[in-house]
Amino acid sequence: MNDEEIEIVIGADGKVVVRTIGIKGPRCLDVAEAIAQIVGREESRRLTEEYHEAGIQAHAQVEQRVRRFGD
Amino acid sequence: MSTVLVVTPIVVASWPLMSAAITAAIGTMGFAAAQNKGPRVRQLASTTTRAEIELEDSEILAGSAGSGEQMVVERDGIRAIFSRDARGALKLCVEGNGHSKSELKRIGEALVGRVAQQYAYHRLVSELKERQMTILDQRVGEDQAIHIRVRSG
Repeated sequence: MNDEEIEIVIGADGKVVVRTIGIKGPRCLDVAEAIAQIVGREESRRLTEEYHEAGIQAHAQVEQRVRRFGD
Repeated sequence: MSTVLVVTPIVVASWPLMSAAITAAIGTMGFAAAQNKGPRVRQLASTTTRAEIELEDSEILAGSAGSGEQMVVERDGIRAIFSRDARGALKLCVEGNGHSKSELKRIGEALVGRVAQQYAYHRLVSELKERQMTILDQRVGEDQAIHIRVRSG
């Protein structure tokens, strides 16, 4: 998708921060890891809303189907 | 935002590649290649303060360039000598008159940081091009950090 982006910030001390934008679910981690592996060793990671968003949506769809089945 | 990774660069390069990163880095800190290398280095050695810094996670590949390579740069009476140490890592020796050891060490750490930054930048950009990923924008911030925006997929 066109609105999927990666922001890379290379600090003056050489540290690199890779941030995915608009990539939902676990795929965002795969994309970020692929970039990180180009330059070096991962020091830390933070997963935010969009990472969990795909999982939450899938869970909601399952819940809806279960409810409809129950009705 | 979705995922944020912080990465420490691992610098593995031949001396020519390392020299290119050093050349790009020194310019950002106002240093320039020294015009007269050998005699001045020996003259300064007995009268100046000196600090040594090693770039962690670095390896200069011993290739056709050999292990005796070095690059000397200077700014306002401060000389910085980049070389490959016995273990193959990038070593920087900073020396100058009228400067404390801690001050020289701070300057040296900033210099090796910039070398790592330039190495990471060129490594990333060439790899992104290799993977045919589109660079949407790149700029240098006020803090001298390089910002790159890439289209994913």
